[in-house]
Amino acid sequence: MAVENLTGLSVEMIEASQMGMTALAAAIAVGSTGIASAFAEYGIGSAAVGATAENKDVFGLVLLLTVIPETIVIFGLVVALLMLF
Amino acid sequence: MTATFGPSPYIYVCTRLRVRKKKLILREEYMRMLHMGLPEITRLIQETEYKREIDELSTSFSGINLLELALSWNLAKSYQNVLKILPAGLKEMTSSYLRRWDIQNVLTILRGKEQKLKPGRIKEVLIPAGELDRTFLDRLIAMDSNDEIVEALKGWRLFRTLESEYQKVPEVGSFAQMENVLYRQFYAEIIRDAESGIKGGKEFLDFIQLDIDIRNLQNLLRIRLQGERAEISDYMIPGGSFTVEELSGLNKIEERGEFYERLEKSLKNRAFIGFVERLKSSETKAEEERRLEESQVALTRIQLAQMERMSKMHPFSIWPILAYLELKKFEIYNLRAITRGKEANLPMERIRNYLVI
Repeated sequence: MAVENLTGLSVEMIEASQMGMTALAAAIAVGSTGIASAFAEYGIGSAAVGATAENKDVFGLVLLLTVIPETIVIFGLVVALLMLF
Repeated sequence: MTATFGPSPYIYVCTRLRVRKKKLILREEYMRMLHMGLPEITRLIQETEYKREIDELSTSFSGINLLELALSWNLAKSYQNVLKILPAGLKEMTSSYLRRWDIQNVLTILRGKEQKLKPGRIKEVLIPAGELDRTFLDRLIAMDSNDEIVEALKGWRLFRTLESEYQKVPEVGSFAQMENVLYRQFYAEIIRDAESGIKGGKEFLDFIQLDIDIRNLQNLLRIRLQGERAEISDYMIPGGSFTVEELSGLNKIEERGEFYERLEKSLKNRAFIGFVERLKSSETKAEEERRLEESQVALTRIQLAQMERMSKMHPFSIWPILAYLELKKFEIYNLRAITRGKEANLPMERIRNYLVI
């Protein structure tokens, strides 16, 4: 028989709710950092394409600069994974 | 690129032009050119981005004329290339700014025809960077009289002003008044364009104001150097930070000290303070006259420095674009000064004073 707490919810129900909240938090962590990365990358990307159009030699360098904000989303992903497992 | 969404097109274009600006000829290279002979300079220019124009024109022109025409064509081509990559709002403002070349070209053709110059000679000095393209200008050059040329310009946006001023030319005896009126009309129009609520219009308006100030100050100081104290309001362009009345009043001041004192007080743009102080500190009349002579180039340098400063303050606006266009113009101007100066065997120091670096 499930143990019920003061709110009338069973432990299983609370656990399931917590799991859901954790999944939601993980989604927010990945989603918001993804948006932040995109925001940072669109400016750098525009400038990178502009610079490459004028001088093809800088392609390697600007590609590296464009993906640096990707680290933000990686942080988000790490936090999400830590929360989930 | 016509549709604009967010600031990315601005970032793209401004970065491209910043890279192009870095490719312009550096101060050290000009200094090296000053020590070279004309054939070496020609070879050096041929090795740079002017190669294509020089190759294209070398069958019909040679020597310094070939260089002059190649430089003009390159300038026009660079300007048209910039227009191609600009997003809508910036394109509109830049095209308005480039319309000044139409006035210069039309006046060059009219003056050339008046002096009965050969069409080839007129063509050398034209810079088809405005709305009137090379083919149309060639058609104008091929015409026999100025009346025909004015008639052919019927569709031009400044035609009405041109037509009414052209009728006064025989009476006045020169195109100078017509030139003043056309430029005043041009500035009035671009101020209207900038104030039409276009995105980035505020920055464009600031540039126009700076440009008008520089032109007005250059004219005021040139008139001052000639010792002319007559009414100058016809030569001044309204819309700058100085009013036409202010400038006109300044020119009427006889006493040197008072003139600079009043000029300093009327300054609204801090960029000019050092310049006026330098003029003011001249101890002898000869020194003042020398500085006034140099003031034309000095003011241009102030304008470029100010544009550079503004393009750093507003990195994704009209400023970096106009800064590139102006610097490119002065690159051509400098190369012309060096090649013409070398051809005329002018001393190195004298050529250097003409350079805008």
